Amino acid sequence: MSKELAMELINVRKKIGKKEIIKGLSFSIHKGEVFGLIGPNGAGKTTTIRMMVGLMQLTEGDVRILGKSIKSDYKAAVREVGAIVENPEMYPFMTGSQNLNQYARMIPGITNERLREVVQLVGLEKAMKEKVGRYSLGMRQRLGIAQALLHQPSVLILDEPTNGLDPAGIREIRMYIRRLAIEKNVAVIISSHLLSEIELMCDRIGVIKNGELVAIQQVNEKTEHNHLKQVQIEATPIEQAIQLLKTEHDIHAVQEKEQISFKSEKENIPALIQTLVGHNVSVFQVGIATSTLEDKFFDLIGENTIE
Amino acid sequence: MNNFFKLIYNESLKIYFRKSTWIMYILLGVIILGLAIMVNIYGEVNEGYEQNSWREALQEENAELTRESEQDPFFQDFNNSFIEINNYYLENDIQPAGYDAWQFVMENEMLLSIVSLLTIIVAAGIVANEFRWGTIKLLLIRPISRTKILASKYTAVLLFSLFTLFFVLLFSWLVGAVFFGIEGVNPYIVLEKHTGLEYVSIIGEIITGYGFQIVTLVMMATFAFMISTVFRNSALAIGTAIFLMMVGNQIVFFFMERSWAKYILFANTDLSQYTNGNTPWIEGMTLGFSITVLIVYYILFLLFSWLFFTKRDVAGH
Repeated sequence: MSKELAMELINVRKKIGKKEIIKGLSFSIHKGEVFGLIGPNGAGKTTTIRMMVGLMQLTEGDVRILGKSIKSDYKAAVREVGAIVENPEMYPFMTGSQNLNQYARMIPGITNERLREVVQLVGLEKAMKEKVGRYSLGMRQRLGIAQALLHQPSVLILDEPTNGLDPAGIREIRMYIRRLAIEKNVAVIISSHLLSEIELMCDRIGVIKNGELVAIQQVNEKTEHNHLKQVQIEATPIEQAIQLLKTEHDIHAVQEKEQISFKSEKENIPALIQTLVGHNVSVFQVGIATSTLEDKFFDLIGENTIE
Repeated sequence: MNNFFKLIYNESLKIYFRKSTWIMYILLGVIILGLAIMVNIYGEVNEGYEQNSWREALQEENAELTRESEQDPFFQDFNNSFIEINNYYLENDIQPAGYDAWQFVMENEMLLSIVSLLTIIVAAGIVANEFRWGTIKLLLIRPISRTKILASKYTAVLLFSLFTLFFVLLFSWLVGAVFFGIEGVNPYIVLEKHTGLEYVSIIGEIITGYGFQIVTLVMMATFAFMISTVFRNSALAIGTAIFLMMVGNQIVFFFMERSWAKYILFANTDLSQYTNGNTPWIEGMTLGFSITVLIVYYILFLLFSWLFFTKRDVAGH
């Protein structure tokens, strides 16, 4: 996968009145990468996205798409972007294909084949003659994605793409997004306030809080699933258990309330338990934390406060 | 440029795909049909006169009208104007044309206020609705400048009003032709003007009558368009535009004595005040003055629309 820059945010700031809503965001997204933007409600995700596509003006800083500035070279920059901002809203009195045609007419060079291709990609062939007003939210979401992909953009921005979808729909969208990134080398930016969702789709995650980027986290599925896990064991006597893990397995465990907590590879866990049981430590339960990312996320975000 | 036509096409589709637009046209059609039926039943429509007996017929009519006036003085003024018109025909030895499609079209000039109303509704919605539907976000993230998008919307409004105007003209003429027939390609008629009776071409009357009304139509549509872009609220735009259209003349009358009254938009929208020896509403007003005032208002309306549409952020609801 190439590491070519797709989108770059340089010290982006937004002031509304006297209040600074976005306080100097800087990060970049590469082609073929799925980037997640996560933060609590009101953290500035949607504002950031609106600035990325030129719906809101930047108070300071710049957004560059394939090196073109959204401020000084708007048309060329936005040509490379496809987006859904908030809900995928379409003209309810038009059919799916009439809606898509509206957007097709606005960018030169979109052929009927391209239209068909996009419709096929999102699986809406059968609903194109139906009025959008009668679409389900999932169908509208798909039509929204079709609209965003029509002009083969280099950057796809989806604001809460799985909002209101059922589990099957979420899975489908996830698959489209991954496929787009891998097959078409599109940079995808997804915002969400649900970590679990973003974790499954993204290669990297940027955490926004109160208009600031507090962390960028690599989501590396392989290390996440096959290597170190956060393990919790409830056992008595607890001090002996900690001691045993240290002497026998060279694991540094810490006590957290009634439990001990440490990192270990999954394959080693039975051996650890055998050691504990062999030394007459009573083991009540063993747990593997589902996500270390989640802990990290809450550490970063803290309480969901809106300043 | 080709691109711009596509945008106008897009905007027109948005207007004509909506059911409410079709209801407007059906309403107009029903009103025109209703008027024709009313004229047919209650109006005293002259069916035209025979080549060799029209003089006698007119004299007979006059005698009847005089008798009626004597019996009931209430009709006197009303009947006298008919008698005068008939006398004009007789004195100038012109055979009067019968009531026909052209006259029906001419009388339907008043329907232009309904066309104005419909244009205001469309103008008020064309920007505000995009915000209401949330579609503005998808519309503005295209590689097209906001100025161009706004211009395409404004042009679509003007095209709609033009189209609706032609619909009224054409449909009135067709309905008129069915109900009353057609008396020639370009019939003439005697009408009461401010300078007295005059023998005029009906088509000429239609062109000037409709033409003068277009000024108000375009100004009020542009006003509604501005309110719609500035406040992003179609109800407000419809309300203020219709209200001003209805009370505009009263506003001018109310401030008639003030020195600045002549700068009020509505003192200038009726350009027919400068024709046919009419006297302008306020002393010192000239055609050039009114046109200048109209242009200044027009530019201001468009300037405000443009400023608010292109400079303002599209934020959440």
